[in-house]
Amino acid sequence: MNVSESTKTILLVEDNPDDEALTIRALQRHCIGNQIVVAHDGVEALDYLFGTGTYAGRDLSCQPTVVLLDLKLPRLDGLGVLRRLRADERTKLLPIVVLTTSSEEQDMLNSYSLGCNSYIRKPVDFIQFSEAIRQLGMYWLLMNEPPPL
Amino acid sequence: MNPATLAKLRDFCRDETAFEQLKQVLAQEVQPLRQEIDRVQFQADQQKALFQVITRLREPSELESIFQATAIEVRQLLGADRVAMFRFYPDTGWNDGEFVSEDVDPAFASAMVAKIHDHCFGDQFAIHYQQGRIQAVADIYTAGLSDCHIQVLSQFQVRSNLIVPLLLGKKLWGLLCIHQCSAPRQWQSIEIDFVTQIANHLGIAIQQAELLADLRAEIAERQQAEDRVQNLNQGLRQAIKDLSAVNQELETFSYSVSHDLRAPLRSIDGFSQALLEDYGNELDASGQDFLCRIRAATQRMGQLIDDLLTLSRVTRTDINLAPVDLSRLATRICNDLQQVQPERLVEFTIQPGLSVLGDAHLLQVVLENLLSNAWKFTSKHPTARIELGTIIPQHGVSSYFVRDDGAGFDLSYTDKLFGPFQRLHGATDFPGNGIGLATVQRIVHRHGGRVWAEGAVEAGATFYFTLEEEEAGA
Repeated sequence: MNVSESTKTILLVEDNPDDEALTIRALQRHCIGNQIVVAHDGVEALDYLFGTGTYAGRDLSCQPTVVLLDLKLPRLDGLGVLRRLRADERTKLLPIVVLTTSSEEQDMLNSYSLGCNSYIRKPVDFIQFSEAIRQLGMYWLLMNEPPPL
Repeated sequence: MNPATLAKLRDFCRDETAFEQLKQVLAQEVQPLRQEIDRVQFQADQQKALFQVITRLREPSELESIFQATAIEVRQLLGADRVAMFRFYPDTGWNDGEFVSEDVDPAFASAMVAKIHDHCFGDQFAIHYQQGRIQAVADIYTAGLSDCHIQVLSQFQVRSNLIVPLLLGKKLWGLLCIHQCSAPRQWQSIEIDFVTQIANHLGIAIQQAELLADLRAEIAERQQAEDRVQNLNQGLRQAIKDLSAVNQELETFSYSVSHDLRAPLRSIDGFSQALLEDYGNELDASGQDFLCRIRAATQRMGQLIDDLLTLSRVTRTDINLAPVDLSRLATRICNDLQQVQPERLVEFTIQPGLSVLGDAHLLQVVLENLLSNAWKFTSKHPTARIELGTIIPQHGVSSYFVRDDGAGFDLSYTDKLFGPFQRLHGATDFPGNGIGLATVQRIVHRHGGRVWAEGAVEAGATFYFTLEEEEAGA
């Protein structure tokens, strides 16, 4: 399946430049890397989604199809972002996939309690990671029907 | 007789001689009356003093203040030079003691400071005093007292004394001593009776004081015990606080291990793979082999971190005790193992109905580790036998075992088996990182049980575990 012509975007919230590069590489290898927006911390992610700060005036009718959210982030962490998004009418249904290194039960519990749609632990093995990203992109961009916003 | 009465009487008389005779007759009549009046007066004073002593005894005062007030009153009433309470030191055979209270005429020395050792007293007199003997000596130098006795008394300038025992029931506690220092004194029976009564009441006061002291000691002891318990509790609370602080630290540490240590590994693995994909054709076979080795090592480390986290989680998680069917758990795990390698010929013998009280999740980890170890260490043999069972309870505690007929181990290394990262086989023979049995041991310990192993090289291994505390001394 080729989704490169799609207007759909992915918001990747990731502070580690290596992880950012590898995630984008994995997405691009499966031809779903054309519309990736990267936010490097929680505040930047909220600015993008709510059109504030550096993203003031951004057209909010173009929201990402899915947000890939790391948990450990500078300034505002992933759980904080999740809490803010779910509390806001405009983003409460936005599909959010937690993409993290942590396999701590507490993190999973908190993420699901705050309303994430999926929780994926990044494997060390890049081939497995790449496969996970492929499946994830396919599922959220092509198979899943997004909520009417 | 007053002069007015005498003048009237003079008028009745013929002459001076008759008057003198009349005066003598009257004087003879009046004298015993006087004496009687004095005696009654003394009795009244005595009653008053006794009453005061008794009243004081009823009040909850310290023995010391009772003694002091009594000494003052008695000395005043008897016109004595010194009234003092002497106390024997317990367990000295009535040879040693000291004056514990005293009222003394300022013209004479105080007896309070001196400790008294009178070896002839304990030997000769104690028994008599114990029977209630009273000693009234008009003059110590003419009463035939022993030299050592005279020596002790003269130390306090005593010339005459009246000594009444202070008895605590039948026990001689001390002596009530009335001293006359200025001159010899003939003690009257009425005085002796009075002092005896005072001594009896003081005996009761001493008894009450001793009871009170015992009671206070007991209360103090209880208070101390309570304080000790409280200190202990305080210590425990502190220990719990410290422990939860350590746990909190461990939690944070594990989190950062889980998150921060894995992230660089992903970078190493990811970019090695990227190198292979993008520049693979520019590398020769050994260059590609190096990258593959880097990736393999990275993934091994990733696995190691995961296993360490499992180990630490085993220590951190709460234990929920419930009945667990070990047989069913084991059957499921064995089926999974067989499914992954269906070609292997392994006979599983699982004793049915092994029900235990434990944490279902943690016991699953125990069985997974033991059974997959058995599976792993029998992999070099064409066929194998893996068994789960129980042995006859010892000290009332059941032991369970997982047995295999695989590679076994050298019994002399048995103490190394359960340490983290300890391995008895090379990684090329049997893969693994030495965390599994350490995890098993921690879980078993958290259940209050113990784990041990038997085996021999190429003769299989048996791992035993219990899940409850054995009785002390067992």
